Amino acid sequence: MADALLQLENVRAGYGEAVVLDGVSLTVPQGGSLAVLGRNGVGKTTLLLTIMGFVDLMQGSVSFRGQDISRLAPHRRARAGLGWVPQERDIFASLTVEENLTATARAGRWNLDGVYSLFPRLRERRSNMGNQLSGGEQQMLAIARTLMTNPSILILDEPLEGLAPIIVEELIAKIGAMASEEGMALVLVEQHAEVALGLTEQAIVIERGVVAHAARSADLLNDQATLDRYVGLNLVEN
Amino acid sequence: MIGNLAIVLFDGLAFGMLLFVLSVGLSVTLGLMNFVNLAHGAFAMLGGYATVVATRELGLPFLWSLPVAFIVAALVSVAFERTLFRRLYRAGELNQVLFTIGLVFVAAASAAYVFGTAQQPIELPEFLRGVTEFAGFRFGSYRIFLIVVALVITGLLVLGLEYTRFGAQVRAAVDNQRAAQGLGIDVDSVFAMTFALGSGLAGLGGALAIEMVGLDPSFGFHYLVYMMIVVSVGGLGSIAGSFVAASLLGVADVAGKYFVPELGAFMIYLVMVVILFMRPQGLIGKR
Ligand SMILES: Nc1ncnc2c1ncn2[C@@H]1O[C@H](COP(=O)(O)OP(=O)(O)O)[C@@H](O)[C@H]1O
Ligand SMILES: [Mg+2]
Repeated sequence: MADALLQLENVRAGYGEAVVLDGVSLTVPQGGSLAVLGRNGVGKTTLLLTIMGFVDLMQGSVSFRGQDISRLAPHRRARAGLGWVPQERDIFASLTVEENLTATARAGRWNLDGVYSLFPRLRERRSNMGNQLSGGEQQMLAIARTLMTNPSILILDEPLEGLAPIIVEELIAKIGAMASEEGMALVLVEQHAEVALGLTEQAIVIERGVVAHAARSADLLNDQATLDRYVGLNLVEN
Repeated sequence: MIGNLAIVLFDGLAFGMLLFVLSVGLSVTLGLMNFVNLAHGAFAMLGGYATVVATRELGLPFLWSLPVAFIVAALVSVAFERTLFRRLYRAGELNQVLFTIGLVFVAAASAAYVFGTAQQPIELPEFLRGVTEFAGFRFGSYRIFLIVVALVITGLLVLGLEYTRFGAQVRAAVDNQRAAQGLGIDVDSVFAMTFALGSGLAGLGGALAIEMVGLDPSFGFHYLVYMMIVVSVGGLGSIAGSFVAASLLGVADVAGKYFVPELGAFMIYLVMVVILFMRPQGLIGKR
């Protein structure tokens, strides 16, 4: 796989004694996109935390641009181009919106003007403190903050969780726009299978610590039988 | 009477500024990094002895010995942080207290061994000696210098923490370590630098203190008490809080000793008890 951007091989990871993932392999090519599906609690967040280096890798390897990064500290992975957006959003509460965007920014295609025109609401809120935002604004800020680091892969952990339908629509459109930007790859963890599959090229389903199913997103979208088998995947948006 | 009041206010403010420089680093490490570093008093004492050595043994002018005190205390503290303190970040407050107070004992014994138990004299440049006349009052020149230095430090700290990218990274790392790391902040280094800055200021405070309150091996203990009072009255992690608290306590201490000599050194504790009774989280503290 010469053009693999992010590659996991036979990853076993978890918390202390509790093994959550046991034998997960996946590949995201340069500029590619991958949906990660699975029921609540199967280990999707754990997978992303393992990629970022926050969870102990017990076995297997994580490679980025062909380099083994299994032992790299999280901040070095981020600087290498992994753009993680945490499930809890984790907005810095004692920083203003604009400071949230600039404190960790790195030079590249995305700058303040760029993210403000993607999310005009953030421009209006630029002087607000991080803890004075609505849920939707927090999610926009979390995504914009990561974009400002100019990552080569954007890793989103349930970005639509708990948001009002109108915000969900807006975010889906924005994520779609980002994903079609040349160059930036996308890993999207999402409960709304239909949305995730519509935004990505490839998809995997995690179940019992392994990749239970891997397919092209377009094919899985039409494969009602497989989707049904992994209950909890809501194909119909609610 | 008015004249006495002005002089007492002025002297109290000067003493308060000294307390501020000594304490602000402790407020930062305690409030921002949740690390109970009682060795802060030892780093202050280290700065004092660094200035004594720099002026007396190396013949450096007093003003040049001040940055030396800062740098020595900062470097030594960061060596301790890298090798020892960071093992204690998750060890609980009691372990932190026991370990760092132990370091103060070690520092006091080492200072007594190397320098003896006597007070260390310090040679000041001409312009810092004597008094400056202003509006009919005679102000101690050194105290004016102390106040100016403390104001400059306060300004730089506030600017640095509130208006620079490094300051924003410090606050981000404090708000959420994991998110900060995940976005590329080297949290360990940011904390180490913050720690060094705080200890360096303690060292500078120790150097500035010699002329005003003297320096002997008990300095680390003696002033640790004042530092804890400033930090708890001001509120953890608040530069402005430390500033206000230190000014208030400095004035209360000097005024108490002057106007109510029977109470003597007890005044500062009285003020602390009253303030903490009304505001347990401190004047400007976040929690
Ligand atoms: N910090 C933790 N310590 C121990 N177990 C955890 C921790 N975080 C998550 N888990 C467990 O790991 C499993 C996977 O969780 P998670 O990765 O959050 O799932 P998902 O994101 O797919 O909902 C769950 O059983 C959860 O209880
Ligand atoms: Mg999750």
